[in-house]
Amino acid sequence: MADNSNSLGLLQSSAVKELANIGLGNAMTALSNLTGRYFDMTVPNIDTVNLDQIPELIDDPMGVSVGIYMPVEGDVCGHMAFLWPWSAGTSIWKMLVGSAPETPEGIDELYASTTLEIGNIIGSSFLNAISDMASLKLHATPPLFSLDHTASICSSVVAEAQLSEVTALFIETEIFEIENEASDVRGFFLFIPNKDGLDRIFDNLGIREAA
Amino acid sequence: MASPQILVGMADLQVTDKPALFNCLGLGSCIGLVGLDRSSGIAGMVHIMLPEAFKDKPVDKPGKFADTGIAELFAKLEAAGANKSRIAYAYAGGAQVFKFGSSADTRMDVGLRNIRAVEEILAGFGIKPVAFDVGGSSGRTVTVDTVSGIVKVRTVVSGEKVLCNLKELRAVAA
Repeated sequence: MADNSNSLGLLQSSAVKELANIGLGNAMTALSNLTGRYFDMTVPNIDTVNLDQIPELIDDPMGVSVGIYMPVEGDVCGHMAFLWPWSAGTSIWKMLVGSAPETPEGIDELYASTTLEIGNIIGSSFLNAISDMASLKLHATPPLFSLDHTASICSSVVAEAQLSEVTALFIETEIFEIENEASDVRGFFLFIPNKDGLDRIFDNLGIREAA
Repeated sequence: MASPQILVGMADLQVTDKPALFNCLGLGSCIGLVGLDRSSGIAGMVHIMLPEAFKDKPVDKPGKFADTGIAELFAKLEAAGANKSRIAYAYAGGAQVFKFGSSADTRMDVGLRNIRAVEEILAGFGIKPVAFDVGGSSGRTVTVDTVSGIVKVRTVVSGEKVLCNLKELRAVAA
């Protein structure tokens, strides 16, 4: 089945990396403006993967993660998810709220709304970058978030996405606060456009490669 | 010596006639269903992701869907030599792990649809599970010891608990 051929051409893969860098770079600028601190993010690795492979890419499936999920609507529909390990979540809460819950049960309204807001910022900035570059309209719908085993969060997102899609962009990320070495936050970002969504983006960028 | 572990990943279906420890990890909205022949020890487990197979697409992995997965589990258990009348079943999963956010309870309902599908299909075959642990907002990891018949469920919030003993057909009260 053609559905299984997910590998990107060289041009496409560098375009996707560029999109991710610009999109997530915008997100970090927004986060910096919100907090008055300076954040940056790098994208060490990016790949298109079959949805079924996603669990294999997770280092610690039974580790607890903070997961943000946002359905994507507009010219290209799909799904977006952003995951950080619990330890990274606590550093983010400490940076933004000034404190962090001891355990996942300690999540209250303040931590929850902070997390959802970060989801909004990162998600919208990422989609805006794609929208601008590809002259398409993509927008995020209100985020949801979860604190659970990484594997449970991922399988839930994948099950939701399986209803229509087969391919995801798996983007490893590292967020860090400049001037604070200890603030390194590793996570990953999933962008799962609907079937043909990626092609539509590539078409508009003028880099669709002949099959 | 402990039985070897068999990982049951997303959309996987595993059947064994040797002592084993099934490990179905990270069941968010997915459901893990296990069947154990109480006398021969032949056992099988499936990691169901969606309620039913798509009508317009070929089924790449039967274990992915409740309808094809359960039928395939029955077929593989019997092919391995299990006796239908002695197979005990239990299942867990179908959570909505994204519990924070506006109208979080109604926006992702794959878990709920999976639960309904598994309930209906098992009832259709006249099967009454020994125990089940479904819904809620915590992802589950399910382990099954095919020798003792003990099924355990682990969540972030509650840790690990025994769900039932398939060999003794005994559910453990939560």
